[in-house]
Amino acid sequence: MRDPYSVLGVSQNASDEEVKKAYRELARKYHPDNYQNNPLADLAEEKMKEINEAYDTITKQRSGGYSGGSYGSSYQPGWSSGAASNSDYARIRNLINAGDLEQAEQLLYGVGQKNGEWYFLSGSIAYRRGWLDEAMQNYTRAVQMEPNNMEYRQALNLIQRGSMGGYRPVGYSTGMDAMDCCTALMCLNCCCGGGRC
Amino acid sequence: MFGYVRPFRPELKCKDFDLYRATYCGLCRCLRRRYGLIAPMFLTFDSTFLALLLWEPEDSFAPCRGRCHANPLRNMPMCPNSPALEQAADESVILAWWKLRDSVQDESFWRGLSARGLSQLLRPAYRTAARCRPEFDRTVQKCLEELAVLEKEGCSSLDRTADAFARLLQGAAPQEGEQGRVLSQLLYHLGRWIYLADARDDLAEDKLAGRYNPVAARYGSAGDDGALGLTMENSLEMMGAALQLGEFGCRRPLLENIIYLGLPLVQRAVLDGTWHEMKKQKIWRNNT
Repeated sequence: MRDPYSVLGVSQNASDEEVKKAYRELARKYHPDNYQNNPLADLAEEKMKEINEAYDTITKQRSGGYSGGSYGSSYQPGWSSGAASNSDYARIRNLINAGDLEQAEQLLYGVGQKNGEWYFLSGSIAYRRGWLDEAMQNYTRAVQMEPNNMEYRQALNLIQRGSMGGYRPVGYSTGMDAMDCCTALMCLNCCCGGGRC
Repeated sequence: MFGYVRPFRPELKCKDFDLYRATYCGLCRCLRRRYGLIAPMFLTFDSTFLALLLWEPEDSFAPCRGRCHANPLRNMPMCPNSPALEQAADESVILAWWKLRDSVQDESFWRGLSARGLSQLLRPAYRTAARCRPEFDRTVQKCLEELAVLEKEGCSSLDRTADAFARLLQGAAPQEGEQGRVLSQLLYHLGRWIYLADARDDLAEDKLAGRYNPVAARYGSAGDDGALGLTMENSLEMMGAALQLGEFGCRRPLLENIIYLGLPLVQRAVLDGTWHEMKKQKIWRNNT
């Protein structure tokens, strides 16, 4: 295993506070939310695991045995296949997660009736390919057909926020500070029709 | 290529500016050495970005001094020759060649005359470059053919046409290993973004000339800057996410400046129509 200090990019004699700060910045960078349905999600997950282990090792060493409580690596990128309503859709989800987009698309075209989930999956395949305009159209369609499905709404919100939401290194922020964040959350709540669902 | 990919000077640290300039000058020298006196004509900011991406991450910045091609009296710091510079030089010659061939075919006989002349000048250089990078040459040719078919049939899918160009640029980096996957994703979305920016830039001109334009085919002849801007931003976000997963050593801050600040600025300029003024600005001198 690599030296945990070099994984976090701090020196051996960094203070606890510095270690924590470095860890937080890296966790913000590689957080699964930034790589949802991204073809590179597995690389981000590996990095996240690596920094979690490094942070745990350092805190354990320093406190003599106790783990410091990293964010944990139980977070699953992609979706739980349990959300699928029919077995074809479950298989398609697995194929998309595995990156086998052609097979997924073929199977999807074989499904006769197009419901919200059909458009959501079609959008996910497009998104994964980098066809972001078609992804947006399909997600919009899915939300129109099933306005109460949070999964579809989340996917649409993610793509509609543009480059305002993702990770930016310190110094490259686009003016989205803490205040704006609250406003954004409020807007998001309104968009989602907060009261209804 | 097009010159869209440039850093945002006011936010660059001096050392990153020096690194950028030395890479640009090094690429110029590399082009001249490999392809003769006319080759530096095809030097662009875009190919400089490509060289920065391809550079071995563990290589530190160690410039040497060399004579400037444009002004031989000046002695400039420049990056010494390296595999990344050679690859970027070969690929920019191949791209320039196919872009010229493209305009020769698109334009009428008289209007295409200058492109025809230039491509004759470039032909020997292109032959050499295609021999060095046969695979990239094939990819470019194949993708441009696909693009021509889509444009001819008036394809209304923005993604489908952009995809052909994006795959073309994707071919500019090796795709093996983790770093290869990162570069491949980054270049795909760079290609997509460049294609969309260029299409938006040509919107008015294409309308006058009655030519196909992917943005007009998707959103109607007036375009839709809101929707187009958003989908371009999505590509920028994908590029940023990919950049964070790769190894870029001392070139990372410069690459971050280009992706997080330079490209969004260019995008705004393309959308509000001020790009043509911005394009003429030299980034070497401080304009502000």
